Amino acid sequence: MTSPVRLGLLRLTDSAPAVLADAEGLYAAAGLDVALQVEPSWANVADKLAWGKLDAAIMLPPLALAAAAGLRGMRTRLHVTMGISQGGNAVVVGRAAAAALPATPLDAAAAGRALGVWLRDQASPPRFAVVHVFSTHNLLLRHWLAACGVDPDRDIETVVVPPERVVAALEAGQIAGFCAGAPWGDYAAETGAGRVLLGSSAIRPRHPEKCLAVSAAWAGQRPEAAKALTVALYRAQHLCDRPDRAPALAALMASRLGLPESATRAALPGGSGPEQIGFAVAARLDPTDALWFLREMRRWGWLDAGQDIAALAAETYRPATLLEA
Amino acid sequence: MKILLADDDADRARYLMRLLARDSSVQVAAIEPGMLLADAVVAHMPDVVLVDMTRPDRDALEGLRQLSATRPHPVVLFVDEDDPGFMQEAIDAGVCSYNVGSVTPAEVKPVLRAAVALFRRHLQTHQALTAAESRLRERDVVDRAKAILIRTRKLSEPEAYRWLRREAMASARRIPEIALTVVQAHAKETP
Repeated sequence: MTSPVRLGLLRLTDSAPAVLADAEGLYAAAGLDVALQVEPSWANVADKLAWGKLDAAIMLPPLALAAAAGLRGMRTRLHVTMGISQGGNAVVVGRAAAAALPATPLDAAAAGRALGVWLRDQASPPRFAVVHVFSTHNLLLRHWLAACGVDPDRDIETVVVPPERVVAALEAGQIAGFCAGAPWGDYAAETGAGRVLLGSSAIRPRHPEKCLAVSAAWAGQRPEAAKALTVALYRAQHLCDRPDRAPALAALMASRLGLPESATRAALPGGSGPEQIGFAVAARLDPTDALWFLREMRRWGWLDAGQDIAALAAETYRPATLLEA
Repeated sequence: MKILLADDDADRARYLMRLLARDSSVQVAAIEPGMLLADAVVAHMPDVVLVDMTRPDRDALEGLRQLSATRPHPVVLFVDEDDPGFMQEAIDAGVCSYNVGSVTPAEVKPVLRAAVALFRRHLQTHQALTAAESRLRERDVVDRAKAILIRTRKLSEPEAYRWLRREAMASARRIPEIALTVVQAHAKETP
């Protein structure tokens, strides 16, 4: 009798494959006993993977790379074995910035230029929240701002606010805007706390969002379980991609994770939000994505010049797991 | 050494502050309710931050070096790589520590050790309470199931209990689980 696979996740729409696989019995069908653990923050996920309290987690690829590089505490041997999702984040501004921007829909370049004008009009750099320093969200936000002539280190102040709290922080005026994953962007729009300025796919089309990261020690002990986990999640991804199943999936996520149901539905396939998440399309890992994240991290001075990013990417990204399975 | 304690559990925080304050070289401050952790760190300028791991905003600490050019010291998660058992205990207990100033691991470890002991005791009390509550609920379910069996199957109370125990043994489940299925089936039959 082997112990259950401890799979960590956060309260986000793109955790859907992990939750649906449980509800549909896909783990059991792959011969696995999986215990889902909902964690309050990304740092908890990373620490529990590092110290053997989780075997696997739905993870942010840049955080997996940062943990593997030893950028936050101990170097942690992690393997990224598949992609979980593509796109689905939102850049949201609060009412103050929204009032100063053109009301018509804007493309990424026009939105960035208009926001830049407003930012430089403010007495002090407005605060923008991201969900973790080593998040896809932070890298995409900075990439977009810099491309639009905004200095992300001087024209804004970046703070970290956990995803489930960004809307409250925006409503309370603690932040001027945020970049966070679904459902929180659509939820901010629904509640009137802010306006979705753009979806993250407008910054980088088809960008990878979440991945499956497993502890290398666990994968070494249970290689078959590591493969079976990718199989179960890959099957779940195909179900998550079906627009006809999206209403039931949103209801499941609302009941299992306590997410706001209509905002969750908005970012699922066929939804009404500005951006929908893709699941199975993200499954196959592209190692050049790891290099993109690492180059962006180096660009902002977060990686030592001596760090061999090609070696780190190759050590961490393991596209063969899903292909073999 | 100045310590900032970020724990929303008021009782635990108060107790830990008293405990740490016994060391005269230590100054302890608690985070104000509702304050963002990153703001509290800037306001208090501690050397060490002790954080309840379930606080979602502890992630804010991980970006402080990268996010602020005005702070001279990076904020780093305290990790004792030579003592993985201790780190696992800390995570199990639900507390972690960040070094902000130029403190050494030798100074931080006793502080974190005290916090781990307290958090663990708190967790055990909490688990004992939860277990007691669930035992009470279970006893209630078993009593209701016995009452149903006595009525519907014309059993005596000891017979009803033996029936539940036999079913539990036969299906390798616990008696309260069997009792629950009896109560649920009865509720369905008699709407």
